[in-house]
Amino acid sequence: MAADAVLLLEHPPVVTLGRSARPENLLVTPEQLEARGIELYETARGGDITYHAPGQLVGYPIVDLAERDQRDVHVFLRGLETMLIEVLAGFGVACEPVEGMTGVFVRRKAPGERARKIASIGIGLRRWVTWHGFALNVSLDLSAFEVIVPCGLQGVDMTSLTVELERAGCVVPADLDARVRTSIAAALQDRWG
Amino acid sequence: MSISVELPALGESVVEGTVARWLVAEGEAVDLDQPLVEVTTDKVDAEVPSPAAGVIEKILVAEGETVAVGAQLAVIGSVSRAQQGATPAPAAAEVAAPESPVAGPPAVDPEPKATPVARRLAEEAALDLAAVEATGAGGRITKHDVLRHADTRSVAPAPAPALAPAAATAGTPAASPPWARYERQDGDRVVAMTPQRRLIAQHMVYSKRTSPHVGTVAEIDMGGVAALRQQHKSGFQKTHGVALTFLPFIVHATVRALRDYPALNASVMDEAIVEKRAIHVGIAVETEKGLLVPVVRHADRLSLAGIAAAIEDLSSRARAKKLSPDELRGGTITISNPGRMGNLYGFAIINQPQVAILRMGEMVKRPVVRSVAGEDAIVIRPMMHLALSYDHRAVDGQPANGFLFRIRELLESAEVEL
Repeated sequence: MAADAVLLLEHPPVVTLGRSARPENLLVTPEQLEARGIELYETARGGDITYHAPGQLVGYPIVDLAERDQRDVHVFLRGLETMLIEVLAGFGVACEPVEGMTGVFVRRKAPGERARKIASIGIGLRRWVTWHGFALNVSLDLSAFEVIVPCGLQGVDMTSLTVELERAGCVVPADLDARVRTSIAAALQDRWG
Repeated sequence: MSISVELPALGESVVEGTVARWLVAEGEAVDLDQPLVEVTTDKVDAEVPSPAAGVIEKILVAEGETVAVGAQLAVIGSVSRAQQGATPAPAAAEVAAPESPVAGPPAVDPEPKATPVARRLAEEAALDLAAVEATGAGGRITKHDVLRHADTRSVAPAPAPALAPAAATAGTPAASPPWARYERQDGDRVVAMTPQRRLIAQHMVYSKRTSPHVGTVAEIDMGGVAALRQQHKSGFQKTHGVALTFLPFIVHATVRALRDYPALNASVMDEAIVEKRAIHVGIAVETEKGLLVPVVRHADRLSLAGIAAAIEDLSSRARAKKLSPDELRGGTITISNPGRMGNLYGFAIINQPQVAILRMGEMVKRPVVRSVAGEDAIVIRPMMHLALSYDHRAVDGQPANGFLFRIRELLESAEVEL
């Protein structure tokens, strides 16, 4: 097994179906997707359906959990969540995990508020080596999420770091994408470097 | 004989999994370790490798069905002993390499099983793998086994592999505990750290965690130095082309005191103390990008003018961002001069892997008691506090105090060639 690595990247517009994807969560036909310039792929990650596009930071940590004596995939998932929550806190957006839903959600102020999802997680495991990973919405156009029921979760809105910063009346730095990438890279290094 | 394929435990909190897709069909021949089935749990998709070579006799769980961890997924038949994996596979975990396909009792392994990383580490540390206790799946020796073994033998471990857990090597704190987590308040503006800031932060945390810092302060009468400086200021500028500040005097006295107290010119390496022969003084410089510490090399070989010129050169290039990385490396002691603004004294954090750092306070005129013609009298003198932080792992109070008071002696006597 070569050195552990992480791929940090952005995908062109694409809808991906995870192993637990239900067809009804794709709300348009494949032809309609194509017309919008969005590709469609099935992938071997856990989870339902999701959408990637430029402005979303996608991270694929490739970590040999056996080599690290950390053979617990949930611990790894929660580690990814916590890492994302910490990075987002560094940008002034308080987030939290939500019981029963994997991913990272913006902390709600009132009990009745709809959940706003800022990052999605879905991983694959081959002989205790992780692949796939997380997708953090930084500055992408969220309107394309309307073609799917993201992660198959009803009653959840998708949000992005830009949207949340604007909502809070914060200045959105011009180089936000680069800053997030730097912070994520450092956080991954801290945890699994 | 036949063997069953079970849903592997993927984590402590994982109690069940769903069969997503069978990769093989009933009646199909499979090899040891061949992926048989994809199972999903929560947000994880994992493959279950075959625990043995044989033929898929029966598939017991259909795609889409959810079963508990440990449940039988399939039965593999026609498994010969020789084809079976070394252990009833802990499924998704690494499975031992197939035994040699020779019939009869398996031969004793001539070479211990180990992961490639473990093998490399052992090689680098010149450890005999056969002596390392294996805890990995299938009786394999893992990296951790090698490191543990190296520790117990007190062998200096191999240079930390690039993948060693960050918390242990880089000194970065683990995730913040809940009570220390940031919560946003109105008006907050959060600015990400620059890479420079991040490096400083990491170094400071590492230093505080690594070295037990002890602080001690001397109050120094700078009257002699001030008079000397006043007297030679303009001539010095003309001759050497640099302004004569107080900092070179401090550096000059420090390197001379280090000759008497070499314990302060050292590094701690694991359980050894490295006594440094060369004296390279780091000078903390504030720049736009943050704190930089360029190094005056062999400061003990330089005259006061040489020290002044070197500091001037390094600090101006530090501010212009024109230092080479080498000029920031190799310091053996550091001096910080945070300037005026009412700074009485304070204790700096040791610049690792050094064992001592000096921090200058502001020089101010103070009334002090001096003996004048046999009588106590209150006189006005320019006084400066000099604070020393030292690493108590390497240095005890006596040499540390002796060093600091030797610096005071040298400065108060103000016997410097100009």
